[in-house]
Amino acid sequence: MDVIRIIMHIMILYFFYYAGVWIQEWFNLVIPGSIIGMLLLLSLFYTKLIKPKWIAMGTSLVLSHMPLLFLPVTAGTIVYLELFSGSGLWLVAIAFTSTLFVMAVSGMTAQIFAKRREQHD
Amino acid sequence: MTDWAAAILAAAGTVLVYIGARKFYQRFSYPITLPIVTGTVVIIVVLLGTGISYDTYMLGGRWIEHLLGPAVVALAYPLYKQRKMLKMYFFPLLVSVTVGAFAGVLSGYYLSRLAGVEQALIASVLPKSVTTPVAMEVAASIGGPPPLAAVFVMVAGIGGVVTAPYLFKCCKINHVLAKGIGIGSASHAIGTAKALENSEIEGAASSVAMTLSAVIVSIIIPLLALLFF
Repeated sequence: MDVIRIIMHIMILYFFYYAGVWIQEWFNLVIPGSIIGMLLLLSLFYTKLIKPKWIAMGTSLVLSHMPLLFLPVTAGTIVYLELFSGSGLWLVAIAFTSTLFVMAVSGMTAQIFAKRREQHD
Repeated sequence: MTDWAAAILAAAGTVLVYIGARKFYQRFSYPITLPIVTGTVVIIVVLLGTGISYDTYMLGGRWIEHLLGPAVVALAYPLYKQRKMLKMYFFPLLVSVTVGAFAGVLSGYYLSRLAGVEQALIASVLPKSVTTPVAMEVAASIGGPPPLAAVFVMVAGIGGVVTAPYLFKCCKINHVLAKGIGIGSASHAIGTAKALENSEIEGAASSVAMTLSAVIVSIIIPLLALLFF
């Protein structure tokens, strides 16, 4: 039974995904269809038209194995392996350094605000 | 070998590699042994060793990749469950993600300039902090090759999740929301997948950061490109 339930849940997620893709193409948006689909589903949760528990099992399964879904994409780096040797390494180093900078700056900003808010309460 | 057999083999192989990588991580848990790291390395090594082209691998790989769409939709679930928390911290979220988005684009630009990188390459580095489809689209809009942009998105994703624990310690970032926002702003969905493993709150914060960041970056890059290029 659980298998059927999970398949149904994933089908519902697919429905929202395709609805999002359709909206993206129709309005020619830069935001990907998957994110639009997520916002659609979220708004239906808010309006109580869909109960989160209706799709809980499939959602948890997909979310807990998200790294698997990335493997084919990350393996795509193979096409640009030469970038990781020679002068391309500069670019990789820049992307990496900038990533650390983003994480530090956004994390520290959030922490300052969050802690200040907690002191007020 | 027929395409179908190759596709099934590639998809099944990827799942097996993932299961193995997960088992390995359960025994040896370090940031560098995360399944996304070891799994990627194993697949690349296998493809190089056997001489199978990436295109052939993707006959089956894309079945798995295709589930990423519904997986991103699924993020609505932790977001909704953590809605009270997110509402309470809405302002800090918005400010810090905006700061992070600017920090990423500007540091990417100035570091590249400093290293004397040519313009088309800079264009594909700039959107690295956001999820792949957005990054590819944004890069293309300012003259950067989309596949190259995707590689930098992977560098940001994997590089971010591997270094996050050290960076958070080093910068004394210990608030759960701050961690989620940091990793979501820097490492998009790959970071969010890791944040969800840590806790639902961190995952929700990371989902918000990743979504907001995609919106902000796709607005500011074309505008800044007018100034830069």
